[in-house]
Amino acid sequence: MNNPLIRVEKIVKKYHRGAEELTVLNGLNLNIEDGEFIALMGPSGSGKTTLLNLIAGIDRPTSGHVFVRTDDISSMSESGLAEWRSRHIGFIFQTYNLIPVLTAYENVELPLLLTPLGGAERRKHVEIALYIVGLADRMSHYPSQLSGGQEQRVAIARAIVTDPTLLIADEPTGDLDAKSAEEVLVLLERLNIEFKKTIVMVTHDPKAAARARRLVRLEKGILIEENHMDGHSSSGLTDGINVSGISAKSE
Amino acid sequence: MKFLSLIFKNVFRKKTRTILTIGSIILPLLIICIMGSFLKALDAPDPAETRGMFRIVTRHKVGFTNDLPISYVERIRQLDGALAVTTFDWFGGTYIDNSARNFFARFAVEPETFLQVFDDAKVTRGSIDDWMSDRAGALVGEDLMKKYGWRMGDQIVLVGDIYPVALQLTIRTVYGVSYGGSDGLFFNRKYLEEALPSFEGTVGTIWTKCRDAEAANRLSDEIDRIFENSPYPTITESEKAFQMGFVSMLGNVKLLITSLGIIIVLVIILIAANTMALSARERVREIAVLRTLGFTRRMILVLILGESLTLALIGGFLGLGGFILGLKPFKASLMDTPISGFASAIMLFPEVLLVGLGVTVLVGLLSGLGPAIRASQRPITEGLRHMG
Ligand SMILES: Nc1ncnc2c1ncn2[C@@H]1O[C@H](COP(=O)(O)OP(=O)(O)O)[C@@H](O)[C@H]1O
Ligand SMILES: [Mg+2]
Repeated sequence: MNNPLIRVEKIVKKYHRGAEELTVLNGLNLNIEDGEFIALMGPSGSGKTTLLNLIAGIDRPTSGHVFVRTDDISSMSESGLAEWRSRHIGFIFQTYNLIPVLTAYENVELPLLLTPLGGAERRKHVEIALYIVGLADRMSHYPSQLSGGQEQRVAIARAIVTDPTLLIADEPTGDLDAKSAEEVLVLLERLNIEFKKTIVMVTHDPKAAARARRLVRLEKGILIEENHMDGHSSSGLTDGINVSGISAKSE
Repeated sequence: MKFLSLIFKNVFRKKTRTILTIGSIILPLLIICIMGSFLKALDAPDPAETRGMFRIVTRHKVGFTNDLPISYVERIRQLDGALAVTTFDWFGGTYIDNSARNFFARFAVEPETFLQVFDDAKVTRGSIDDWMSDRAGALVGEDLMKKYGWRMGDQIVLVGDIYPVALQLTIRTVYGVSYGGSDGLFFNRKYLEEALPSFEGTVGTIWTKCRDAEAANRLSDEIDRIFENSPYPTITESEKAFQMGFVSMLGNVKLLITSLGIIIVLVIILIAANTMALSARERVREIAVLRTLGFTRRMILVLILGESLTLALIGGFLGLGGFILGLKPFKASLMDTPISGFASAIMLFPEVLLVGLGVTVLVGLLSGLGPAIRASQRPITEGLRHMG
């Protein structure tokens, strides 16, 4: 395929604080190919979250375009964009953002409520997603009954349950202890390698960034490409959960 | 439908707050339903439910001892809103002796119309025909029968004190009332007319059963106006003084009840709206997360309106259910009070239930509208940055 999956073109994002104008992204370009696992680094306040939000279609650029394949998502209507998000984007937040009154199962089911799937089919998808993240036995737990690492894995299950085109993770290990962070990174890596998920991940942690296949740095409103990192990133795979038989999920 | 469980879980997110809010819907709704039932009862009483109500009494303006021409009866009968008219003549007389213990009401009446006007009295033994077929027959209250241990067919002798005559009456019929006392003795005025020809052509008081409160109110003025310039001017009052006051105040009372009802509805809306605003504010981030997942603005709007509607409907159904169950005992408890006449006209009016349901839906929609619009319009990025 010649077209990149995502093409961010001359994106400008300005914020206004009173009379002050703050240019966060300044004509930024980025191509994301199918199946990539990109780590996005940069100082705090450099605009990483802003960029992710634009790619995920939850914010609009001041100028410039975000193309997904050939669709220009910056010109979609509100409801068109919402529909697009539900099909193409899985968002993983630093603070998990699970709905506290819903069980793990119900949290993961949420995005499926927007699809035409019936109850039985939804159940199958939710169970598979929770199985992939290793929490099939925690389905009826509420977020408050889960550890931070488990919560984030439920959030990942929620992000992958609709089998989206692109996974976006904003500092997914930022709130986790080393061990939980490692589990989450292994999981993301597996999703990338085994399930061919395209992932864009913001991180401050060089160790986390090292898991990715490509590293970009955001500085002063534009991106600086770092060297490709190769080879070692699949090491975590063997620690993962045995998923034989369900990998059919990602077609 | 699949969002219903989400709505429900959100409604019961803060259980105490939700229960308090539901409570603050139930209680005012009960009050609204009760007030509505009163209004309805005042407005359009069911004839079957207005026994003993809307009775007015016409007497000579100067005093009790002055009689009225009997022709007045026919004149009043012609008036619109007069359902039945009957007459009362105080006989007095002595039964056994003059002690207070042996004092009870004894009236000469018209058997043909008596029970039409006093429709709260029910014949419990014998029949009206039994009474009418014996010119010297008497209609006696159950309480009085019990007091003296009388039986059907017993003879009662009343010795006249004002009038030089002794009446020999036979108990032919017995009546009872569902509330109040039944301790009167009534006999045919024709019997008295025969014994005392001076009675002919005059009546002591004229009793009119009116169609409704409006008619009672209007007729008590109209009757007096008709006879104002005659040699026998009248004064007409509601049977019970309080009822007259009530009837003449009716317009004000309705206005008062209606305004109170509206105020109560506004208060419920404010309380529920406060709950919804708090609940939506706590969830700014969650709502942004839902929208990130692909929930549209419309869905958020519907979710939050669904929550406020659910909250209101729970309160509404409990309130209306409580009202339906509690109406009978409530009505019964009013029967021994001065407003028994109006209370007896209260029933389960479908209109009141409809208004209750309407109020519930109104509260549900209006209380959620502000928070729903605010939540659905907030940009996702702003919601995600929201702390707490
Ligand atoms: N909605 C907003 N309004 C005003 N300023 C904002 C808004 N969102 C982000 N910013 C500012 O833009 C800059 C980049 O923010 P962000 O993308 O969150 O940075 P990062 O994720 O790299 O830490 C910061 O200075 C932040 O304060
Ligand atoms: Mg950030």
